[in-house]
Amino acid sequence: MKNISKKIIIGLLAGIVSGLFSTGGGMIVVPAFIYLLNMEDKKARGTSIFCILPMVITSGIFYYRSNYIDWNISILCAIGGMIGGYIGAKILKKIPVQYLKIVFTIFLIYASYKMLFK
Amino acid sequence: MIEILIGIISGIISGTGMGGGTILIFLLVYVLGIDQHIAQATNLIFFIPTSIIAIIINLKNKNIALQSAIFISIFGILGAIIGANISIQINVNILRKCFGIFLAIIAIHEIYTIVKWYKKQKLRNNKKNEYIK
Repeated sequence: MKNISKKIIIGLLAGIVSGLFSTGGGMIVVPAFIYLLNMEDKKARGTSIFCILPMVITSGIFYYRSNYIDWNISILCAIGGMIGGYIGAKILKKIPVQYLKIVFTIFLIYASYKMLFK
Repeated sequence: MIEILIGIISGIISGTGMGGGTILIFLLVYVLGIDQHIAQATNLIFFIPTSIIAIIINLKNKNIALQSAIFISIFGILGAIIGANISIQINVNILRKCFGIFLAIIAIHEIYTIVKWYKKQKLRNNKKNEYIK
């Protein structure tokens, strides 16, 4: 297996971020796979989900033990998430990703401002 | 029922690969007014069912580099143990501020990729024009 040290660093870093914020592992792993491991885009995305699930389950165990899981909210959101995922898969083919990216970025700036200076 | 709606919005965004999780957490904290820790825990549960379906589909389509994935996952689990324990120990307000900084970093990265794409597009158009001349 090639690039062992790179893979160790990618895994550790994504795991730490994933555990800290419960999100964002994919935003580290996908570009890292493409630029550091020279994976093609599709394979990078597919592999990233496989890698992130164990991190999420691990974090989940610790959050659960600290009583941070509200099952009522979680299950409702998960149901919505599956519906949204289905809708997304249908409509996203019709909208150019670049425009979505711009909207998403504006949202991120707004959200980070709100989080920092509430 | 607001919870389902927040889930739907985040689910749609997840499909773009831009991180529906960040939106889910933000909306839970801001619209529902719940604690940052609980919002993050909700995102963990939110992620599991859709990702399992995605993994099955990707395995069938052979879009997963399995050997690398398993190797990276081992270190991912180690990292997650570290990260989750730090997160649990941190005060809610500090965690929320850290999350804000994290969102800002993602925003900067997104701006960078948009600019890069735009430049590439411009270059391509210029080349086209030269060809016409």
